[in-house]
Amino acid sequence: MLKLFLWLRYLRKKRIVLLSIAAVALSVSLLIIVASLFSGFINAFEQSAVETIGDVVLLAPVKFAKYSQFIERLHQINAVDSATAAMSAQGLLHLGKGNVRAVNVWGIEPESRAKVTGLKQSLLKQKDSAGVPSFEVAGSPDKTGGFVGIGVLGEPDEKTDEYDIKAVEKMLGRPVVLTTGAMVEENNSSTDRQGGQFRRKTVEFTIADVVFTGVYDLDKKFVYLPIAYLQGVLYPDENEPVADQIQIKLKDGSRADSAAAQIRGLWQVFAAAELGWGEYHIRHTQIETAREMQSRYVAELRKQMGVLLLIFGVVSFSVVVLIFCIFYMIVSLKQKDIAILKSCGAASSSVACIFLGFGLCVGILGSGIGVLLGYIMTKNINTVEEWIRIIFGLKLWKSSVYMFSKIPNEVDWASALQIVMWAIMAAAIGTLIPAVVAAKVKPVEILRYE
Amino acid sequence: MYKVILATRYLLKRRITYFAVLAVALCVFIVVVVMTVMTGLVNDFKDKNHSFAGDCVVGTESLVGFPYYEDFISSLAVRDFVEAVSPAIKSYALLTVRLRDLNIGVEIVGIDPIAHSRATGFAETLYYRKGDVSRAFVPSYDPNLLGCVLGIDIAMERDSRSEYPYEASPAEIAFSISCFPLTAKGALAKAGAGLVNTQTFYYSDASHSGLARVDGSTVYLQFEQAQLLCGMAGPVKRISAIHIKFKPDVKLQDGCEKVASLWQNFKRQTAGREQADLLDTVTVQSWKDHRRAFIAAMEKEQTMLIVMFGFVGITTVFIVFVVFYMIISHKTKDIGILKSIGASNADIVGLFSGFASLVGLLGACIGLLGGWVFLLKINRIESWLFEHFRFQLWDRTIFAIGDIPNRVDAGVLLAIAASAIAACLLGALVPTWQAAASRPVETLRAAQL
Repeated sequence: MLKLFLWLRYLRKKRIVLLSIAAVALSVSLLIIVASLFSGFINAFEQSAVETIGDVVLLAPVKFAKYSQFIERLHQINAVDSATAAMSAQGLLHLGKGNVRAVNVWGIEPESRAKVTGLKQSLLKQKDSAGVPSFEVAGSPDKTGGFVGIGVLGEPDEKTDEYDIKAVEKMLGRPVVLTTGAMVEENNSSTDRQGGQFRRKTVEFTIADVVFTGVYDLDKKFVYLPIAYLQGVLYPDENEPVADQIQIKLKDGSRADSAAAQIRGLWQVFAAAELGWGEYHIRHTQIETAREMQSRYVAELRKQMGVLLLIFGVVSFSVVVLIFCIFYMIVSLKQKDIAILKSCGAASSSVACIFLGFGLCVGILGSGIGVLLGYIMTKNINTVEEWIRIIFGLKLWKSSVYMFSKIPNEVDWASALQIVMWAIMAAAIGTLIPAVVAAKVKPVEILRYE
Repeated sequence: MYKVILATRYLLKRRITYFAVLAVALCVFIVVVVMTVMTGLVNDFKDKNHSFAGDCVVGTESLVGFPYYEDFISSLAVRDFVEAVSPAIKSYALLTVRLRDLNIGVEIVGIDPIAHSRATGFAETLYYRKGDVSRAFVPSYDPNLLGCVLGIDIAMERDSRSEYPYEASPAEIAFSISCFPLTAKGALAKAGAGLVNTQTFYYSDASHSGLARVDGSTVYLQFEQAQLLCGMAGPVKRISAIHIKFKPDVKLQDGCEKVASLWQNFKRQTAGREQADLLDTVTVQSWKDHRRAFIAAMEKEQTMLIVMFGFVGITTVFIVFVVFYMIISHKTKDIGILKSIGASNADIVGLFSGFASLVGLLGACIGLLGGWVFLLKINRIESWLFEHFRFQLWDRTIFAIGDIPNRVDAGVLLAIAASAIAACLLGALVPTWQAAASRPVETLRAAQL
């Protein structure tokens, strides 16, 4: 009770203690904001991969047929929710009037893809419509439709980093030309030798919808066509539908790594029995979770986060020095109080505990304020960024630089807890020596009448 | 004189001051290291962009290009402020590796290698033909073939030491490069006739500019070949840009203004000719403006880091405040005696401000020295960490960085030291004013003596 009384008294009377609380709060909030922004970015990066290509991806070294049979077998695995086939190529897209873009072309089945990824929510025109997304061109059912990333059609505004949606919507229904190609195996009759020949193909399609995922690189680069149409263009001699990858969504709560292992086992059997593949092609088929595919880059981001937190942590260590100075000063000024306490029977350890406990209180109070500040800043970071843009004309966050349209603003509570623990420990360390000094005070020397 | 003696005495006798010095030194050390590395990276990036673009670029974003460039280049070449001029074709193309299913979208740049090397740092980026840039597009294995220079990251993969596995000579690899030829109106020139132009080129060299985007997606072709591919070689020939290098004594701003003025005159003279409307899309930009989109991002990072360290530096101000508050609280009698023998308030302020400056100066010196030594060894430290723990600050297979920049900039050091001293003065401000405002009659009362 006495300790609590003294803590509150010192807190009220010694306003300099507020400085140490402020320093702890400032350091804690800064570290929480940095950790949350970094963690939020990493999580958004991993999540965007999952939303784009599903939880598990099967990437074959060459195109393969009978993918619909394999997808049926995949549904026998408990963990699998849905799966879709895709075919990829690179191309050059002519949008008209001197507008040419290098693009990644994906042949997809929109209905099954919408089950695996967030395709429908990304479509500008069809996101609110009932039914499944489709490549159908309004008013022209005979035309081949395609989806084009919003960044392919235009750049975001330099100042606001927002796309001109009205201008983009005007491009719906526009015919465009795509040049792409693929390796086609040929038999050379004169030498009776098999070989590959690259065939350049040019196709025309109509923009049926625009894809806006909020991930700059995806929006800038991707064009989607019906897989059957793309396959017919690239591999006209194939009798069966072909694909070069399968994207799989797992059920909620499933473990991606064990599901990937099951899928690998299923693929080995299928590729050998149904496709007649040899060991080489089976072994070179990549079956990875979306997170595994990004793991190298994510590890690098985590390293950068660690280095930045270390740097700020080292500088924030000076808070320990600050608390030490303040408490040393308090102990120096309160020597008579301490001497009186000891002469009334308080043990040295008790006296030390008063100041140690007070230091912990400062740490807890400062950390609490820091967590609150960090939470408010992190949650409102996009608003703050917008205000900086309005007041100073400075656009800090651009999707072309940082990949996403919005700054991820979720607080990383795991990191916040660690930071708070370290802050409280730092406060306790800062008060250690002053507490020991207070414990060593000799009443007979301090209370001498001079 | 007594101010210096007292300030030095307080510094030496009051051990609590060492904490303030330590805090300042720690902050200065961190800021020196981080700002030197960051500034080095930004300056290195800017230098590479400058080398890539030349001093000034007269060009258009439109893939259609603009005509009558020969006349303008002729008028530029005779100017006394112009060192070199290089026309360039820029467009998007599909690059296919023959006999492999490798098909990637690239940016093609059509240049005359000699002119381009005079206007920009192109020659320095080559590997096999660095000493003989005129043969940049001549494959060493067959001089009769059409050569192409690939961005280094298209040609090969960087290892964890940021090095590339160059062979003794370029491998004989054929590429198909396909492009949409465009008319002056931007329409497809080969509508109804295949739509694309395709030409086979052979790998003759690799270009390492140090710019990740350029090295990963740019293919250089002979100027005339690129012009044909892009459909710009018609009766009225077109190009995409003119890169200009100024003479060494010409200031960038002045040079660009002169070029802009020349361009306006040229436009007026050419008005009314066929396709002259394409000249309206052309801008005259310094290399900084031309590469602004890339440079601005890095400069912004640097600014944000400075602001964040500014917040962190506030902790240093707090520490100095507390230390001075403590010292002055214990020195009220000394201050009372000084004032009673004639020291003015200004003298007292001067004394403790000088003391604060001394603390800041000492802390800054220690921090700067520690930072300088650390920066000298930083690459060796990183190499040691990589050899023993496989730890790299930046994974060189992901980031296009060579050695960590460690060249200390005197201006940056001065700015950091000045900020440290200013922070100490700020921290000591309130206690100093309190000391100056104290009254000897109250501090020297008999009960307190």
